[in-house]
Amino acid sequence: MTGVDPVRHVLFRAGGERFALPLDSVREVVIPQSPFARVPRAGAAVRGAMNLRGRVVAVVDLAALVGVGSETLQAGRGQVVILDRDRRSLGLLVAQVFGVGPLRPDREEPPGSMVRGIGQIDGGAITLLDPDAVAAHSAAQFGQG
Amino acid sequence: MVSQDLQRYLGLFVSESTDKLQKLGQGLVRLEAAGRGEEPLAPIVDEMFRHAHSVKGMSASMELEGIKEIAHRAEGLLDHFRKTGDALDPASVDLLLAAVDAMTGMVERSGAGENPAAPAELLSRLDAGVARIHGGAAPAPPRPETPAPHRPTPAAEQVPLGLRRRYTIEVEVAGTCPVPAVRGFLVLKKLSALGAVLEATPAAEDLRAGRIPDRRVKALLESGEPPAAVEKALSQISDIATVQVKEEVHHPTPPPAVAATAQPREPEVGGRTVRVRVELLDSFLDAVGELILATARIREVGKSIPEAVRPALDEGVDRLQSAVKDLHDKVMTARMTPLALLTDRLPRVARDLARRVGKQVEVEVEGAEIEIDRAILDELADPLTHLVRNAVDHGLEPSHLRELSGKPATGRLSVSARRERDRVILDVVDDGRGMDPEALRQAAVARGAISAAAAAALSDRDALQLACLPGVSTADRVTDISGRGVGMDAVKRVVEAVGGALELVSVRGHGTRVSLRLPLTVAVQPVLLVRVGEEVLGLPIAKVHGAAQADTGALERSRGEPMLPYDGGLVPVRELSALLGLPRDAGSGPRQVVVADGDGARVGLAVDALLGQEEAVLKPLGRPLDLVSGLSAVTVLGNGRPVFILDVPRLGP
Amino acid sequence: MAKRVLIVDDAIFMRNMIKDIFAGGGFEVVGEAANGLEAVEKFKELRPDLTTMDIVMPFKSGIEATREIIKQEPRAVIVMCSALGQESLVMEAIEAGASDFIVKPFKSEDVLAVVKKVLGGA
Repeated sequence: MTGVDPVRHVLFRAGGERFALPLDSVREVVIPQSPFARVPRAGAAVRGAMNLRGRVVAVVDLAALVGVGSETLQAGRGQVVILDRDRRSLGLLVAQVFGVGPLRPDREEPPGSMVRGIGQIDGGAITLLDPDAVAAHSAAQFGQG
Repeated sequence: MVSQDLQRYLGLFVSESTDKLQKLGQGLVRLEAAGRGEEPLAPIVDEMFRHAHSVKGMSASMELEGIKEIAHRAEGLLDHFRKTGDALDPASVDLLLAAVDAMTGMVERSGAGENPAAPAELLSRLDAGVARIHGGAAPAPPRPETPAPHRPTPAAEQVPLGLRRRYTIEVEVAGTCPVPAVRGFLVLKKLSALGAVLEATPAAEDLRAGRIPDRRVKALLESGEPPAAVEKALSQISDIATVQVKEEVHHPTPPPAVAATAQPREPEVGGRTVRVRVELLDSFLDAVGELILATARIREVGKSIPEAVRPALDEGVDRLQSAVKDLHDKVMTARMTPLALLTDRLPRVARDLARRVGKQVEVEVEGAEIEIDRAILDELADPLTHLVRNAVDHGLEPSHLRELSGKPATGRLSVSARRERDRVILDVVDDGRGMDPEALRQAAVARGAISAAAAAALSDRDALQLACLPGVSTADRVTDISGRGVGMDAVKRVVEAVGGALELVSVRGHGTRVSLRLPLTVAVQPVLLVRVGEEVLGLPIAKVHGAAQADTGALERSRGEPMLPYDGGLVPVRELSALLGLPRDAGSGPRQVVVADGDGARVGLAVDALLGQEEAVLKPLGRPLDLVSGLSAVTVLGNGRPVFILDVPRLGP
Repeated sequence: MAKRVLIVDDAIFMRNMIKDIFAGGGFEVVGEAANGLEAVEKFKELRPDLTTMDIVMPFKSGIEATREIIKQEPRAVIVMCSALGQESLVMEAIEAGASDFIVKPFKSEDVLAVVKKVLGGA
């Protein structure tokens, strides 16, 4: 009786693939301005820490995190998706956000995985991400040594 | 085992009854406030009775007999006090605490599929408790069919006909509700069934248009109904996160004699207030921080423009700066929050723990009304709980030992706050066994945190501070011998991260005092900025002893580490770049070495350059950055770049 | 005694689903109606403790039916079953006297929670 209706998602590209996060898990999308500070002893997917209107947000390269290569973006390119609720100090670096749209997974993945399921949009596949799992995997990139 | 049909409602049962039990527990703590005359007693008892009643009903419908049996007795006990209006005696409070704890555990187990039986010992204690307050008469729990919870209070029944009450009502729609405006609309509709809605924000028209800022609806209701009826009506609406019903100070029409000469009085209010979300306050502060940075940047750029136009610009920047400073002060004032938010739950924490470890404790809280910045308050929650737990667990002796040493059987724990100019001093004091400086010296040496010679040179007072070194207070046995438990280093770290200081004073056999000296507001602290490769990092000046230039390759080595002669001693020098896993400048010339306090022992940190001192607003690290060890806070420089503040003792090798 | 429920919805699938939820929640489903006209008739006949009402239905809408039922029995407890995007219709139904609403897709716990609350907490 659950999930029969599609849920609105933020749609974006990262590492050459398309991904989606539920709209209600995203606080805002920003274009990174100032240089990032490097985070000591962080994992390979961590791009640094960024100043967002006086708050400092950790930035993780989504493509590297989910293992589809990493963004080879020039400075000043790309967008950072800031997560919402108690995850506001985490941002995901993506190539480009291209919209918001209703999605429903055609195929569901087991819980715990960062991928919640695969959906379809404009006839092509799009990977639906689980914000909690993404936050948890991101956290594992910090304080490693 | 919960029966198959009911299985699917188990989750709901667990969450709801856990919530009720939690509220019941909170009620017991609020009773203490009522005992001091700070809050009326009757509504608290009434509410607790309701919660016990709900748990009984829910557990009965889940066929969880064990929980029901306890809830039934707790309800009976509360019903007595509800009817007599007597204050609860300590024995009854303890009984109810025990009942709440037992039920909480049982509810949790039922969530895992069990159907736990009630501990017979607890049931008989409860029965005895009920019998005792009834003066030995047989227990008389309320008749189950009495819908007691929402019975109007006697005061309500005495309200003469036609006399209207005024309520201010604020309702927050749950974040999970997909259509908050419709919820809000329903709230207004239900209120209008009770009386006249005189004001509503947002108005019904706005709600119709889907507008409901912050998911909140505020309304002014005039109604003949008692508060319980208003609350009940609201409680029947789903998807509501919080409800506040406040009856306005009631000023009935004055008697005619007075009416002839006096105007009806306005409700007395000490300045109009609105509730603001903490988040919003945080964003104000962040925005003001940005303004400060932007102002500094304009001033910086101004230095490069021709002299002739400089004065006009400088004057403008000066005015901007003073306006921003003023704004900053006002925002800081708005962020001040009473310590009560933290200290109110401490008596319960202490009491619970004491009961578990078989000790007795009396907790005294003073100065809870003192206000401190919200951000500091949030950071203090865990450390303060920790200090209280430590004091009960490790500081206070069991009653029989206390009596042997001529102390009262019940231990005393006091949490007191006072203002001292721009600081708040928060003391956590116990009258327990005190700490042993010698045990701490040995533990610190055993942990390799300090050399035997250095340990011996410490005064007893300084040796006590060793308890705050990482690893020392966690050493086996030291906990019991020293009278302090785990994690004093964590407490100290948090206190220092918000710009405060921690001090331990202890007298063996007499007790321990932990003093936290805290800034009133988010601290502006001087930091030393250093550069490693392309990264800039900050060290709190308070932790820096000095700096020296040294060719680290040419220094004497001890256990592989270069030793810097400094201030008559030798300080081990470590490459900050290596500690942090960051690249450094190429080349092998002399290095800049910052000598910093590694807590107990000094350490030299080799860096590529010293950039100077700066006043910085330190911010706590949010998740996941707080997981990185060796960092204590972060600040933002004038160029907008974040700079991490180092936590020297935890940089580690 | 189990509370008696009337279910009004033009889709059999929805009626069955809602029926299961109530049956599982200890309610007694005493009747079903497939449109607003039928709903008013069944209400008169059955006098249920609770009525769940779809909004958009043939012959007579759920809003109309609610208005008529409330006129007969002001204390009738009617819970609207709505979907996202029907906000203004739901508000109209509330004006007409509906006690509460649920939004599709719903979970059985949510439905029962709403219904229990609206019936007085019990």
